[in-house]
Amino acid sequence: MTRNPQAGPGAGLVIPRRTLLKGAAALGLSSAFGAPFINRLKAAEAHPLAGKKIEMNVLGIAGWLPSSLGVKMSPLFADYVKERYGYDVSFGFAEAPFADLFQKAATSLATKSQEYNIIISDSQWLGALAKAGWILKLNDAIAANKNLQLDWYSQTVIDTYMVYPDGSKDIYGLPQEGDTIALYIRKDMLHDPAEQQAFAAKYNAKLPQTFEDFDALTMDEFEKVAEFFTRPDKQVWGTAMQNSRVYDFATCFYYPFLWSQGGDIWDAKTGQVEGILNTDANAKALEQMKSWLKYQPPGATNFGIAEEIDVFQQGKVFSCFQWAAVGLAMINDANRDKVMVVPPPKHGKGADAKRIYTMGGQPWVINAFNDEAKMRVAIDFMNWWYLPETTLEYAKRGGNPCDKATLSKPEFDTINPWNRAYKFMLEPGRSRDFWHDPKYSEMLAVQQEGFTSYLTGQTASAKQALDYVACQQQQILYDSGTAKTEPTGVCGSISL
Amino acid sequence: MSRLRDTVYYGLLWLVSLFFAAPIGWIVLSSFKTRDDILAVPPKLVFVPTLQNYVDLFGRQSLLLQMANSVFLSLAAVVLAVVVSFLAAFCFSRFKPRGTDFLMFLLLSIRMLPGPAVILPVYLMYAGFGWKDNHLWLALFYAMFSIPFSVWILKGFLDGVSIRFDETGIVNGGSWFHVIFKVVLPQVKPGLIAAFIFNLIFVWNEFLFNFIIGGVSTQNIPYALAVGTYSDGGLNWTFISALTTIYVIPPILFIYVFQKYLLVGMTFGTVRGEV
Amino acid sequence: MSKPSRAAGRPRLLDDRRMLVLVLLAPVLTFFVVFNTIPTLWLLGLSFYNYSLTSGAPPEFIGLRNFVQIFGNRNGIWFDLSRTFVFVGFGVGIQTVLGALLGFLFWGSKAMPGRRLALTLLFAPMVLTPVATGTFFRFIYDPTFGVLNAILHGLFGTQPINFIGDPATAYWAVLAVDCWMWTPFMTLMTLAALGSVPTAELEAAEIDRIPWPRRLTLVIWHHGKFILMLGVLLRTIDSFKTLDLIIPMTKGGPGQQTRLVALELNKQAFESFNMGWSSAYSVLLLLISIAMTSVFIFVLNLRRRRQA
Repeated sequence: MTRNPQAGPGAGLVIPRRTLLKGAAALGLSSAFGAPFINRLKAAEAHPLAGKKIEMNVLGIAGWLPSSLGVKMSPLFADYVKERYGYDVSFGFAEAPFADLFQKAATSLATKSQEYNIIISDSQWLGALAKAGWILKLNDAIAANKNLQLDWYSQTVIDTYMVYPDGSKDIYGLPQEGDTIALYIRKDMLHDPAEQQAFAAKYNAKLPQTFEDFDALTMDEFEKVAEFFTRPDKQVWGTAMQNSRVYDFATCFYYPFLWSQGGDIWDAKTGQVEGILNTDANAKALEQMKSWLKYQPPGATNFGIAEEIDVFQQGKVFSCFQWAAVGLAMINDANRDKVMVVPPPKHGKGADAKRIYTMGGQPWVINAFNDEAKMRVAIDFMNWWYLPETTLEYAKRGGNPCDKATLSKPEFDTINPWNRAYKFMLEPGRSRDFWHDPKYSEMLAVQQEGFTSYLTGQTASAKQALDYVACQQQQILYDSGTAKTEPTGVCGSISL
Repeated sequence: MSRLRDTVYYGLLWLVSLFFAAPIGWIVLSSFKTRDDILAVPPKLVFVPTLQNYVDLFGRQSLLLQMANSVFLSLAAVVLAVVVSFLAAFCFSRFKPRGTDFLMFLLLSIRMLPGPAVILPVYLMYAGFGWKDNHLWLALFYAMFSIPFSVWILKGFLDGVSIRFDETGIVNGGSWFHVIFKVVLPQVKPGLIAAFIFNLIFVWNEFLFNFIIGGVSTQNIPYALAVGTYSDGGLNWTFISALTTIYVIPPILFIYVFQKYLLVGMTFGTVRGEV
Repeated sequence: MSKPSRAAGRPRLLDDRRMLVLVLLAPVLTFFVVFNTIPTLWLLGLSFYNYSLTSGAPPEFIGLRNFVQIFGNRNGIWFDLSRTFVFVGFGVGIQTVLGALLGFLFWGSKAMPGRRLALTLLFAPMVLTPVATGTFFRFIYDPTFGVLNAILHGLFGTQPINFIGDPATAYWAVLAVDCWMWTPFMTLMTLAALGSVPTAELEAAEIDRIPWPRRLTLVIWHHGKFILMLGVLLRTIDSFKTLDLIIPMTKGGPGQQTRLVALELNKQAFESFNMGWSSAYSVLLLLISIAMTSVFIFVLNLRRRRQA
């Protein structure tokens, strides 16, 4: 933990009597309201901030329910520290949409500003934030706080949300929201006997019905289902994915095609992209992704997270490949009984079929420029966030925790309709994250252009789009010193 | 001209006006719909109006601050800009100091650069000096951005005000201060109002600069719109339509009330009266 | 020189013309130096550096490398520029023609009932927040929920068109919104231009029964062209900078269809934080802007020369 050695006055351990009284009063108050998960026995123990009033600012993702959950639960934290440590904390919030949040965070952090004390970062930003020295390295804090030494559900959690550089032991983030891609299905359509008969008659196969059926399902088989439910005349389409140019939308939904069939996006050790991303197999994967457009609504090339929610809520699609994190928005009062959430299908055929989907989700990161008091509150906040009670409460409100203890509880699976699918996809090897390199934003912009250029038919061949992306990314990484080799000579002549 | 011809002619013009206003009308209409009504297929013209969107809108804690920021930033920046520009324009028009043309040329070049190019060094400067997220500095920057156009408009008007007014004023024993503010200023009222409104509309709707060099305490409504688009999962159409509706009222009122000055203003001083 | 004047007291100080000039210009010059000169010099200096905010490394002097890369079409600047110029050309062209036409029509409608309200409605698109315009037009264009497709379907029975998701239409769909927003501005400028034509000359032309085409060139164009040209140039400048309309609509996509220079610069500067490279890019745009400003000045001087 970076502690300012010249601590300000009042950093001592002496608690004024008034504070104790105030703390006691708060204790009485909160127990009267029966705040359920506060450890009352340990109330008002010695704390350097006791008696102070701290204002914290959290920067979160606009329109992202798990982010706002973290925000909405913060009064519980205020109660908790008031009672336990005797200080007052209030929270201010700022938010920006996914596509602009990094911009917001970085423009502020670059000024060494304390504007945002705690930030909900997207996983791929870890590198850019850490390398610039803007966020706190958490190893010491974790070593000093038993509560933060958690057993995570899988290595994927650590790789995605915590560690930078990849494969190292340096920890910069702690999981806020775990997230994987799930398949949201209209089970009322699926379970309709008339549909089942019609499907059986048309394809000589059974409509998958249960979670287990979908566990075993391959994309080839699911394609029939999607085709079957695509009925443009009735304003219903078989499925929806994210194909939009905005942020990482198309990327996150192309990678499952690529990874599941054995492809890769780069060599993390050497920074080599060319020759790894632009293979024929990966080009074929991109072609497959495009071929799915015919089962999606006509606006699908513009679909991002929000557009998918709109079409699903309005009953325009039978199914949606969508983040588990937006379950609360996908499933509302109107369609609650009609929806089930299952694992997305495997790619490939027979025994070789595999599923490796993209990780979503966000870690908490802590502003490295926080003064001592705010740093202390931030660490207290993390300690509180990972209390089993808090974690469970978070899950109950619709969030997706990542620790093994909570996820292994038998009741976890039924807390929310998507929990089982989420947990399933979080198992080792089923999901992975892409680069955390500081140059991520540039690389992402290039490939979003490349992928959507092919998906919308501007670039004739998938291979050409991938060649373009690989060349550009190789150059970006070579310039930043991450990649050892320059782009090859062919690159000069490749454009979208 | 026959009455019929007039009726057709005016009817046609009204149709054109309504055509241009139609998308805004659709936004206003949407602000009284429920989310499901907004997303209804086919789109609904007849529906049960609701005020819930406005109730929700004003239930947002941050809205009042953002609204106040919008008002403060626009007014402060534009008033400052118009005053500063008027002084400069007077100087350029009356004394024609050496380098007038060059300076006016340079002034305009700021307006010509794309926003990110303008804001990039300013951002680094603000970051370096700790001026980010500060009402005053943001307003000053907006003022800078409003100055060039104001100087150009006002110089046009001042060129049209006979220099005899100045001379008479001075000869009668008035100070320059008196001449500038009491004698000349009232003559260029249309120009002042036009410069005021045009720049007000710009600052009122400005997003990028606010996003980059503003911060938590200086957010304006365009910022709120950009950020609120995705609140509560899905695109938050009810929020966008309600807030846009409220936000577009002041500038529309302005162009209704000051229409005459707007038109006269854009003649750059070649006309004083009705246009 | 300040000492004696100060002793002479305030009024005399202001009587001193040079002093007055200074006092009058001081505010604008202060603004100019703080917010323009310093940042511009900063921009120039930075353009010779490799400086990425997110790398954690200090700026590194690299001479002209940024410029070499830009001219070598790294990140496709020629593509962006050509897109932008087509955007400006078509946009300003359409807006001018349409705006001038509407301006003429409204000019002749002084007796129209509710003219002020009609004009207010007409001018409304240009005061709508571009962020809201972009977002809402995405909705209006939507093939599933959008009202435009519903209208087209109702009138012509067309299949839904994915206006901003289809590369064939995306660019033009964005351009159409730009025209919707800014045609009223050109109408305004046309009205102003027509207003600047002396009534006496128009009446004289009326009495002499000069045919309309000649009236247009002899009287109206002669007086009105300056203001109209000003409108065209102002639109050219603003169109060149189009950004906050596109961000919510397409973010430059699909592919690179709607990637204009301002968008690419925004991406490089404030998403990728390549400050050095973006500075070089900005310097280049500054040069282009100065070229355009010169056209502006040239047109203005034309008028002045004629008057002289």
